[in-house]
Amino acid sequence: MYSPGYYEFCCRVKIVAGHQALEKIPGLLNDLNANKPLILADKGVTGAGLVKILSAAIENQIEIGSIEDDIPQDSDLKVVNHLANVYRDKGCDAIIAVGGGSVMDTAKGVNIVVSENADDLMKFSGAGTLKHQLKPLIAIPTTSGTGSEVTVAAVIADHQKNKKMLFTSYFLLPNAAVLDSRMTLTLPPFFTAMTAMDAMTHAIEAYTCLAKNPISDAHAIRAIAMISQNLLNVVKNPGDKNGRLALANAATLAGVAFSNSMVGMVHTLGHSVGAICHVPHGTCMSIFLPYALEYNFHKIESFIAEILFPLGGEDMYRSTPKNQRAEKVIELARKLNQDLFDATNGRHSRFLKEIKDREGRQMVPKDKLTEIAATALGDGSIFYNPEELDYDDCLMVLNAAWEGVPLDRSRIKKG
Amino acid sequence: MDDYRELKPRSKLFKKIYIAIMLWFVGRSIQAASRVDKDIKKEFDDFPEGFTFSLGVAPNGPYMVVGKDKQGKVKYLGWNRQGKRIDVDMKLKNIEAAFLLFTFQESTCRSSARNRLIVDGDVPTAAAIVRVIDMVEVYLLPKLIAKLAIRRYPSWSIMRTLIGRSRIYFRAILGY
Repeated sequence: MYSPGYYEFCCRVKIVAGHQALEKIPGLLNDLNANKPLILADKGVTGAGLVKILSAAIENQIEIGSIEDDIPQDSDLKVVNHLANVYRDKGCDAIIAVGGGSVMDTAKGVNIVVSENADDLMKFSGAGTLKHQLKPLIAIPTTSGTGSEVTVAAVIADHQKNKKMLFTSYFLLPNAAVLDSRMTLTLPPFFTAMTAMDAMTHAIEAYTCLAKNPISDAHAIRAIAMISQNLLNVVKNPGDKNGRLALANAATLAGVAFSNSMVGMVHTLGHSVGAICHVPHGTCMSIFLPYALEYNFHKIESFIAEILFPLGGEDMYRSTPKNQRAEKVIELARKLNQDLFDATNGRHSRFLKEIKDREGRQMVPKDKLTEIAATALGDGSIFYNPEELDYDDCLMVLNAAWEGVPLDRSRIKKG
Repeated sequence: MDDYRELKPRSKLFKKIYIAIMLWFVGRSIQAASRVDKDIKKEFDDFPEGFTFSLGVAPNGPYMVVGKDKQGKVKYLGWNRQGKRIDVDMKLKNIEAAFLLFTFQESTCRSSARNRLIVDGDVPTAAAIVRVIDMVEVYLLPKLIAKLAIRRYPSWSIMRTLIGRSRIYFRAILGY
């Protein structure tokens, strides 16, 4: 049994989960001495009627300061400053963030500005610059993927300076994460697949990368099991409320796991593909996951093998010889991508070359792979990957993932 | 209260001296390696003029500061951070964490994974600095020890390792 010589773990977010969890929010705010929240969302969230559901659940018991849904896909400094002014003008005393990663990051940015009574958010970028408790923040995820509701980080872009700033502090953790099945019920099957595979990657990388620790492991294993048992069924039956809630719980579990043990090369390569070709994050995650397991196989075979139990179930774990379990996990990761491809009528991409935008154009041309490989070397997650990754290694994996062929393991340089 | 003796933290003088010497030598070796090894030079080429980074032990040192001057030359700027603008600040949380790293019981990545290394600054640049430090370690250390300090020992030619090592040691000792 693996045990690191030393590790740190922290998650002090209250989790409230259920089919009617939203109704608990007034009580949560009351416990935090707040009663006039600013609700932040994006157009997609309001368009899907999710803010209406939230409002209906809480407005009888609490006054809503304002509802703001003009948050772009990429969190933006100007938007953060604007929303901080709204918060002050309306006399709000808490923030409720409803949405995916961008809304959560924006809410965390707004919270810094209003809590520190600052005019320049960028003064607080980096690690450890926040020294005080912030205003109450309640996070309601509407995708089962990012885990932002339980993470210590926020990324805010200054589009004028073309710069992305990272903020990390335990004070950025929301006070509560509310997981309600109604919030993900309308998520289309393709997005459900993509975001849940993001959560699956969080859990698997948390379990297999350098900063793994026993508490993160426990969260990761449960997350993998819940996603494995529910994802395909929810994609085929989007109205399955129990399945939806299970996926929401799994994404939060995975978020807790990776927030404390970090992620590796799936994110290293995925972030770079996203930055250069604007491919959705979850799509990159699902494509690179089996390749990362193959690439790191010689260093983490025993950890990969242990994943077979939550991923394939007890019967499969028992019937697979010990020395074949890790290979079976890679096979299952590929099979899951294939099953999701079939269940979404081909919208869930299995390889880089088949990712298309709305107009049907290929999003990752092969000639971009060199640029992606070079960019990947600057991603922070590269530190946490079990095996070293240099430019040639990245390019080798990218080429295989583009073609959709398994990695030629004889070419992997083993450290 | 008089019955209780005040306990002061031990100064760990030996460890501090050891780390200070290591930082001094690694700093001078980085300067030397940037003039000897083309891959290390290439990493520094991407940094802007006037760029400075520091590696050391929180909260009170020791530290080393390395920078790139207006002519594009990499220079070891000593142990004193005062008055210098540090672009990328890499700090080990305490002297014990630094001792693990500099006695090669733990790689830079493992140190980071165990929350012992705090990096403040541009992440891609910090990643490049870690690559530079890894390469310098390959030059300075025998293979058996270097393999403990890095994730993967590179497949360099014997000529590159031996000649590079001699030149880097020579330059680091003489300080040019």
